[in-house]
Amino acid sequence: MVRSHTRMRVLGLGAVVVLTFTACGGASSSSSAPAPSTGVPSTGTGPSAAPSTATGPKTGGTIYLLENAEEFNQLDPQRAYTGEDLAFFGATIYRSLTAYKYTSDPVESTTLTPDLATDLGTVADAGKTWSFTLRDGVTFQDGSPITCADVAYGTSRTFATDVITQGPTYAIAYLDIPADPKGGSAYKGPYKGTGQDLFDKAVTCSADGKTITFHLGQPVPDFNYTVTLGFSPVPKAADKGESYGIGTNPVSSGPYMIQQYTTGKGGKMILVRNPKWDQASDPYRTPYPDKWEVDFGIDTKVIDQRLIQSSGQDETAMSLIVQPENLATVFADPKTPNPDFAGRAVSDYDIYSLYYWINTTTVKNVKVRQAMAVALDREAIRKNIGGAFVGPFADGAIKPNIGIDYAPTGMWTDMFGQPVPDKGDPELAKKLIAESGEPAPTLTLDYRQTPVAEKTAAIVQASLALAGITVKLNGIESGKYYSTVYDKPNDFGAGGWGADWPNASTVIPPLFTIKGGWNLSKYDDPAFNAKVQAASVELDRQKQALAWQALNKEMMQNVVIIPTFFELQQRMAGTKIDGVYLWGAYGSWPYSRMSVK
Amino acid sequence: MAAYIVRRVGIGIGLLVLLSVTVFFLFSILPSDPARLTCGKICTPALLEANRARLGLDKPIVEQYVTFAAGIFAGRVFAPDSPEPIVCNAPCLGYSFSRHEQVTSLISRSLPVTIWLAIGAFIIWMVVGILAGIYAALRRGRWQDRVVLGVSMVGYSLPAFFFGLVVIFFVIIKLHLLPFPSYVSPFEDPVRFLQTMILPWMVLAILNAAFYMRLTRNQMLEALGEDFIRTARAKGLPDRVVIRHALRAGLTPIVTVAGLDLAVLLGGAIITESIFSLPGMGSLTVASVNDSDLPVITGITLVAATFIILANLFVDLLYAVIDPRVRL
Repeated sequence: MVRSHTRMRVLGLGAVVVLTFTACGGASSSSSAPAPSTGVPSTGTGPSAAPSTATGPKTGGTIYLLENAEEFNQLDPQRAYTGEDLAFFGATIYRSLTAYKYTSDPVESTTLTPDLATDLGTVADAGKTWSFTLRDGVTFQDGSPITCADVAYGTSRTFATDVITQGPTYAIAYLDIPADPKGGSAYKGPYKGTGQDLFDKAVTCSADGKTITFHLGQPVPDFNYTVTLGFSPVPKAADKGESYGIGTNPVSSGPYMIQQYTTGKGGKMILVRNPKWDQASDPYRTPYPDKWEVDFGIDTKVIDQRLIQSSGQDETAMSLIVQPENLATVFADPKTPNPDFAGRAVSDYDIYSLYYWINTTTVKNVKVRQAMAVALDREAIRKNIGGAFVGPFADGAIKPNIGIDYAPTGMWTDMFGQPVPDKGDPELAKKLIAESGEPAPTLTLDYRQTPVAEKTAAIVQASLALAGITVKLNGIESGKYYSTVYDKPNDFGAGGWGADWPNASTVIPPLFTIKGGWNLSKYDDPAFNAKVQAASVELDRQKQALAWQALNKEMMQNVVIIPTFFELQQRMAGTKIDGVYLWGAYGSWPYSRMSVK
Repeated sequence: MAAYIVRRVGIGIGLLVLLSVTVFFLFSILPSDPARLTCGKICTPALLEANRARLGLDKPIVEQYVTFAAGIFAGRVFAPDSPEPIVCNAPCLGYSFSRHEQVTSLISRSLPVTIWLAIGAFIIWMVVGILAGIYAALRRGRWQDRVVLGVSMVGYSLPAFFFGLVVIFFVIIKLHLLPFPSYVSPFEDPVRFLQTMILPWMVLAILNAAFYMRLTRNQMLEALGEDFIRTARAKGLPDRVVIRHALRAGLTPIVTVAGLDLAVLLGGAIITESIFSLPGMGSLTVASVNDSDLPVITGITLVAATFIILANLFVDLLYAVIDPRVRL
């Protein structure tokens, strides 16, 4: 998942391993939300409009989400790819075969639970075949049953790459469908129909339409995680292609449906209860509010002020971020809200790790890259971009909250023969340059042109200069940064990434292999690629975790990236919202557990 | 007069063509790739190529422009392989794949917001600015003149974003005198419309009225010093008649500036729209530039340029009406 300062953030998730989190000095959730139940009993035997609770969260009311963005990036279930959007849609309008548990426990929140499926899938053929059986009584918002064919059709839309864009493409990557000569899939999607027989062989339905089977091109041990992304059902008759979920409201399979959606400043999305949703067929969700309203295009300063005041309608409002200038008002420190905000402000890991990528095709000497890492004043950089609220210093590409794949790499403790202080060590850097056999280089830093990033670039320039490394600065317009550095990178630049699900299979391959798709460092080592491939198909999860840890360490020894921070995020809600915590699954609000007090 | 108008309209159309060509070709030489911007997280070469074809960027730039220009007159079809292709009727200014909407639809939704904002603020600042300027000129050197000059200096110095945020904080958040801005058409809910627009009107008007106070004062003072005014006074004409003559004489530069100010504002009041969450042309412009959304940028440029061209023409025609000495 790529780090972006615009709303083009993509998906990622993680689980906080408590001990490691504490060791890294990260913040913990300060919410007082109770641990949610896995399901709420229905009041009757037929469809129910709302969960009923004798005690605990109340049903009713409206929760408002105040957004600076002017629209959701994508509403189409095969195109939605930002973590927050997936968390919101997953709680309200889209069901998937599996989903993540709702709990404030950071470890448990990244474990799967069945959603549309009756269980977490049956695996066969050494991980190359996965089958899921659909629950009884699952329907779309018009009452029509959700069948295997609908899930298959939704999956097939991903292949129409000339219409369905920007979404997760794991169906293309994993299903057993050959590639075409240009490197795309031989199946061109349901609109053109070319290669439809190939898709129909790779995704099959049982005779009763209840069980869907995916035949994969290679073993994918965690495919039941993969199906949380872009495998939601879509009724073929309602599909409008480019316009599906845009302008027209997509068909809901969840407890809410879209009543209104207008974009731009002043635009809003209003979700009301789906009368055809049945709690009995969906023990996963607990839709407490009667209505959700998302208000778009609000100035960020205005959002913060409204929530700080929390009066009137804003008592049941919430946002996605606290602006840096208001952090001291809301939080006593990166872990603890001020007393006025206890229970409604949270600070915890989000899904992103931040780093500097180094173009290994231009900065080829490992010792030079090591010198860059050692010289960098990470302390000053962090201070410039927000201080301790930014997050603890990172030691690799894999973030602690991803779970068992994380292990300390030792990059800043002993990897280079001695500890490297957070403010950098110019003398050690000079020593490494001397060992490189090359003169101190002149490098060009790509950075996005924002006021904060300009200052950060100057800090990078100054800290490397102490080691004798000359840095030229190349500012790039913020909105075009990634598209520019992907195609025409200079020597190094800032980047960020988040895992798509809690397995480093969505971190190491994308960042460090050419086929992975986000290898800004242009690193391409056949031996390393082979090790990545072996780890990707390893069915023993413990062995796989050890493999990812080793590969992460290898990349840090080679300094393919310079890890900087494991990012924290801070948010707040109004005074009358219950269930306030950061959900480890997507680093998001736990929408399906939130209610009006 | 008719020949003059025809000639000016012809020049205006030529300018619009030149402008659209310039925007189009400037975009093509920018370093970033719009296809990659909308390609998605994992953008393999095959996906990038498919996206480029989807956006029509795989064609030569000249062909892209000709297709765009032809679409203005004949309409176009986008996403032809989609189960429901997008039919863009003439005048088709393109389709925004970033915002998933036709450009004409985006602009036609944004433009009324900006028009209401601009016209409402314009009326307020012209009335306040001109009346205050006349008053200050007639009270030249006295305390009333100094007060008006002082107020105009303060108004001129206030940054729009700061003033807007202060107003929102006190009027809406703290004192709850008005609800949060949420634009609705005046025909749909006039009360809500007024509640939403009154603060942005005031913010925009105060900043511009300051300028017109000074301009009007200076123009009036200059006109009041003219020989014909001395003659009129000597002949015993009442003050209100003299002032009317002086105002008419000093009106020409005020008309020029006001016309151009209004035309520029119709292209979008970026800061005010942003602070008050108004979905106008300014907000659309900022978002489109950030997204490198060429179809929308081109459409907005053409619309904004059209306003400027028409405003220039209107102002020139008005000269002939105001000042009989002007011949077109």
